[in-house]
Amino acid sequence: MFGFLARRLFYLVPVLIAVSLLTFLIASLLPGDLAYTILGDQATPEKVEALRQDMGLDQPVWWRYFGWLGHVLQGDFGRSFRTGQTVLQAVAERLPVSFELMLLAEIGALAIGIPLAIACAVKSGGAFDRFMTGSAFGMLSMPTFLSAILLIYLFAVQLRWLPATGYVPFSEDPIGNLRCFVLPALTLALGEWPVLMRVLRSDMIATLQEDFIAMARAKGLKPSRILLVHALKPSSLTLVTVTGINIGRLIGGTVIVEQIFALPGIGRLLVGAITTRDLIILQGVVLVVAFGYVLMNFIVDMLYAVLDPRIRHGHA
Amino acid sequence: LPPTAIPANLAQSHQDPKNSGRAAFSEGIQMKATTVVRKLAPIFLVIAFGVLTNPADAQKPGGSITVGLELDIPGFDPLKVGVFDTSAQIAAALIFDTLTYLDDKGEPQPKLALSWSHSDDFKTWTYKLRPGVKFHDGTPFNAQAVKANFDRQKDPANKCRCAFYISGTHDVQAPDELTVIYNLNDPVVNLPATQTFPGVNNTIQSPTAWKTKGDDYNRNPVGTGPYILKSWAAGDRLVLEKNPDYWNKGHPHLDRIVLKPLPDAQSRFASLQSGEADIVWDDEYDADSIQKAQKDPRLTVHTYVGSGATVYAFNTKVAPFDDARVRQALVMAIDRKKMSQVVTNGLARPASNPYGEGSWVKCKDDGALPFDVEKAKALIKDYGKPVDFKMLATATPRGRTIGQVLQQFWKQAGANMEIEQVDQATIPPRAFMRQFQLTPWRIVDFPDPEPQIYANFHTGSAVALANYSNPELDKLLEQARKTADAETRNEDYCAISRLINQEAIWFWTFQNTYYALSSAKLKGLPKLYSGVIDVSNVWME
Repeated sequence: MFGFLARRLFYLVPVLIAVSLLTFLIASLLPGDLAYTILGDQATPEKVEALRQDMGLDQPVWWRYFGWLGHVLQGDFGRSFRTGQTVLQAVAERLPVSFELMLLAEIGALAIGIPLAIACAVKSGGAFDRFMTGSAFGMLSMPTFLSAILLIYLFAVQLRWLPATGYVPFSEDPIGNLRCFVLPALTLALGEWPVLMRVLRSDMIATLQEDFIAMARAKGLKPSRILLVHALKPSSLTLVTVTGINIGRLIGGTVIVEQIFALPGIGRLLVGAITTRDLIILQGVVLVVAFGYVLMNFIVDMLYAVLDPRIRHGHA
Repeated sequence: LPPTAIPANLAQSHQDPKNSGRAAFSEGIQMKATTVVRKLAPIFLVIAFGVLTNPADAQKPGGSITVGLELDIPGFDPLKVGVFDTSAQIAAALIFDTLTYLDDKGEPQPKLALSWSHSDDFKTWTYKLRPGVKFHDGTPFNAQAVKANFDRQKDPANKCRCAFYISGTHDVQAPDELTVIYNLNDPVVNLPATQTFPGVNNTIQSPTAWKTKGDDYNRNPVGTGPYILKSWAAGDRLVLEKNPDYWNKGHPHLDRIVLKPLPDAQSRFASLQSGEADIVWDDEYDADSIQKAQKDPRLTVHTYVGSGATVYAFNTKVAPFDDARVRQALVMAIDRKKMSQVVTNGLARPASNPYGEGSWVKCKDDGALPFDVEKAKALIKDYGKPVDFKMLATATPRGRTIGQVLQQFWKQAGANMEIEQVDQATIPPRAFMRQFQLTPWRIVDFPDPEPQIYANFHTGSAVALANYSNPELDKLLEQARKTADAETRNEDYCAISRLINQEAIWFWTFQNTYYALSSAKLKGLPKLYSGVIDVSNVWME
């Protein structure tokens, strides 16, 4: 088990290096130049040249990359040229917001997806199942920016039940904090539950035809007990994978949702860094997101091993 | 009314604490005072005469508002941020004070400075400061503080981007506690007006605070303003509370102001509709929301048509723009009304000169070329050669749309324009190096045509983008910035506009129009000078 863990952890390193290298290259291929951005309306050729030298922008890309990597390995991710904040400070301030959003969105998606999946699996091919299949595809194809605006219009502008934008720290007002997360989390959950539902539904239909379910039925167990205890766990392997991958995907989704709902999360930091050409922050955030994604996959792998011992012993 | 020096303390006692706000000056006294001062005064002196009548609206103290901004504020330390964008200026107007402020008629009025005078050549300006003012950290505001702010930005060792905008000031002296002297390199006839907006160079910050706080100062700014920074969560709420010791007694009205960045235009407007924000920033490219707000009785649309415009410069040194006929033809082919309809649903106001409705410069004849496609066709035909060129455009949906509209207009006149899309930040260096045929530019809203007009059109200036040289134009520009008499100056600027319009070296599409949308209960908002929503004196009904 330990060797398995160590091997998996070791795989993380090349992935992170590749991601950081790619971001660095893409950022330096962007038209324009950081010196132009900083100088703005005073970007005379002499000033640009002086600033480029000052910031080391006249060095080749690979040289700058290794310089940056060297600092990162020593725990120094650099500072924003705009605010003077260190990357770690900026990310640490914003990460809890995004984390809470993703967690609530995933819980929301599971809370919608699992019961519907079970209901569909029990009477697969029935009217409800077919209706849900249609709705699931409908929801899946709705972009988050559209559902976000529709939800804001309904719940914030018309009904006035929930705030349209804004953020309250949990420590300040727990209820207010949850209230401001309802709409953004729901927006993300609306895009996520169809996948979870479809996956669990088909696995569950297969499980329900297994002999041990027939056995349980024959023993006269209550149908609800059969479904929730005997059938759910063996059917949830794919669900765990998809949930894990979804969390990774959600990091991307939060970028749009945080922008619309004005949540001060890591997605907003990322968008801000791109529009202001704050490449040091951009690098740092992308690295954190990549790390989160890879880590999530790692955790999913570990969960597999817990759910299915065959994987742990390499027999799968 | 001969210009006499009135002792500072007397001047202060003349100020009615309640009504020294922007709208409080009696028209009569103010007009008379400025005319006299302009006509007679070798020593320029303005005193705040408070008026003892209350305005019709009762100013209600207490309460709080939330302001929806567009962008996150990066900070307030000039050395760190270089310049304040509009969002930062909105906050700066609350935390800091400036020496002067601009009243609703566009005249500078005393704020941290009580009075001012200038030398005959307009190269030395002396300010008398308001006594007894303290920064939020308890340290005194005085001439040394003003000098320290200037010196820190000017110091070449600090390499501040902010130094660029004060390059015209040679040095600042503080001969005594309450006297500040600005020594300028070039004459500026209207210096107090140019120091009114809450930008990085004009706001007075606490020297003690930036020295003791070091790197943390950027996010913990200290000024003398009506509001004190209470808390600031990164990328989120900036909470300000009333300064109980504010020098202007009876001000401010609100107890608390919350500034929030709301980057998405649609949800920003939804926040206003649902009451989570009381006032939000907006611009005419979000015409939908503005027009919806105009129809909503619960909301107020605050509009200010400023000076300046969205402008374009031809590079007159390269073909085909080395021929005036081509330039004139292109300008005449632009249907600004139609363009406004396409781009901003008709909200954008056409511009025919670089000054705009918000400027004090008013021209009977600005020499604008008429919209006339037939004439344009004829001019291009007369030119005889094919007209093919590239125009720089920002690589944004907005830049693209504008480019395409112009492309269509010019096609009708027989000219082929190719859009070269570039990053926003690439335009200034390309412009400085004159690597363009036609480039967009901007003349920003400013209390005076100077320094922008001189910089944009005088031979040899870095931003004289048209590469155009005309001794007559240079003479007019030099004269206009040295003349004190407003009428003569006005005539000079109109002559400048006529010359530029006729030669068509630059052209203007739309005037700078600024918007704020608020709850109808919000009162007391001054004009949105430079697009800054200054909520320092507002109250909620």
